[in-house]
Amino acid sequence: MAAAQFAAVTVEPFGDSAVMVTVPHPDPVIRRTAIVAFRERFLAHRPPGVLDVVSGLESLLVEFDPLETALPHVEYAVRLLAERLPVQERLRTRTALRFAVPVVFDEETGPDLASVAEELGVAPAEVVEAIAESTFTISLLGAAMAPMMDGLRVPRPVRRRAEPRTDVAPGALMIAGTNAIIQPFPGPTGWRVVGRTPHTIVDISRPEPVSFGTGDVVRFVPVTRDEAAALDAGFLLPAEVSA
Amino acid sequence: MRTVGLDIIHTGWVTTFQDLGRHDTERRGVPTGGAADQHSAAVANILVGNPRGATLIENLGGELAFVPDAEVLVAVTGAPCRVTVGGANVDSWSPVLVPAGQEIRVRADMGLGARNYLAVNGVLATETLLGSAAPDQRMGFTQGLGARVLLESGFRGFRHSHFAPPLFRLPAPVLCCPDGPWVIDVVESYGARSIPGVRELIAESSYVVTPRSNHVGLRLDGPVLHPDTDVEIVSHGVPIGALQIPHADELIVLGRYRSLTAGYPIVGVTSRASLPLLGQAGPGRELRFRWVDRETSVRRSAEQERELRALERATSKAFGALGFAGHLIHP
Repeated sequence: MAAAQFAAVTVEPFGDSAVMVTVPHPDPVIRRTAIVAFRERFLAHRPPGVLDVVSGLESLLVEFDPLETALPHVEYAVRLLAERLPVQERLRTRTALRFAVPVVFDEETGPDLASVAEELGVAPAEVVEAIAESTFTISLLGAAMAPMMDGLRVPRPVRRRAEPRTDVAPGALMIAGTNAIIQPFPGPTGWRVVGRTPHTIVDISRPEPVSFGTGDVVRFVPVTRDEAAALDAGFLLPAEVSA
Repeated sequence: MRTVGLDIIHTGWVTTFQDLGRHDTERRGVPTGGAADQHSAAVANILVGNPRGATLIENLGGELAFVPDAEVLVAVTGAPCRVTVGGANVDSWSPVLVPAGQEIRVRADMGLGARNYLAVNGVLATETLLGSAAPDQRMGFTQGLGARVLLESGFRGFRHSHFAPPLFRLPAPVLCCPDGPWVIDVVESYGARSIPGVRELIAESSYVVTPRSNHVGLRLDGPVLHPDTDVEIVSHGVPIGALQIPHADELIVLGRYRSLTAGYPIVGVTSRASLPLLGQAGPGRELRFRWVDRETSVRRSAEQERELRALERATSKAFGALGFAGHLIHP
């Protein structure tokens, strides 16, 4: 899979100042991995006039200023950059950081732990174990800079909740599919809530509200409620800088 | 430069600091946000000699009033409204002098448009999030005004009596908020292909903004069609102004604070040139949509930009002739 190549991407005009880029492929896993690789490459070689990009699960919305560039130019640049796009591409503009995030896993912090265990046919402790043994990579920053991570090692993808929860506490660790995400602010979610970190994930009083970025590596460390309290955890910082 | 205090006497229903929004933050999950009516916000700043993207005040409904402790240069734009200085009527869409100790008051009229923008020459002291003063509810960045706002300004005043004819007659491109239905230009997007007849239906129907609208999107009452097929649409980004048909019988126009969307077809995207007017649409406003091609849409946008640049040149010349460099024009 790592060697898979893509000769073409789909570029759909979206209004007068954006295009939607997708990678056509029958396998959703490949579509999703390829679009992440494309986004990194596109941002590293951003064409003039491109204002911003919005990552979707299987797409990249490219927003441009139509008075500075034109649709055909953007489309051409996208296709040029997408040529021979590998699924895995190390195109880092910064060194990947490593995070060890303490998480309390119990009935109160992880109200969906039991149902996830039931769905997977294992004990709740084994779900915690699977999360603790997984190495996650931040694939993108979701709504309000929430770190969206890939790499959950479970027998099969975890389903979303049928009924979304309306008010999830900040710091909640949530899983769906083979992804994990940490809720930065109180709000609704359709993800399965399995634990909570005592750290502040996003601090808007800082000039740089998060310490992580795409490509960073995250591991979750189970702690008890008392251990979490003793940590006096503040703003989440990386554990070490990887070589 | 000197520090000027603005004592806030009254705020409207929603009064916040605002600017043209965040740059390059959507790739990190934070919507650009910023003034719903970017045209009026830019013009207000230009009229007082500020850069277009300077922090200013956005007011929705009610009355906004403050008293400066030194003379300040102010401009009010946006929806039609009544502006007074010391009780006397003054023009909107024009630079206005507010002497020390006098009250400037902006009375909104929600029947004509939702938002007013008030710019003051100088730099308003406010917190920023990712380089912008624009509020972001989702991240808890609310940007209310408080009791006293501080301003750093190089403005030293003009000698001009209030009883003299207006000092300025600048070519301000006033946003037209007509009485009847507002016509919004829309560029078709690929979602329209999955719903036969939706293009015609939208073109001939009338839509009314409902009170369930906010900065994330306008929810419109009016006829819609749903796709026959049940093709899964996974979570994806959408441009500002996207026309979305949810499962319910309504039409949603997404605003500057939209997030990812999933499951619903996007049938069109509002033309950039029509977004400022859309930013003025309050509950009860009747909207009609007109399909335009991409070239026409971009041409209208270029026309608006030309008007803004002409105003920038004219303002710069007028202030220069008065010996006021408007230090922020050329930082």
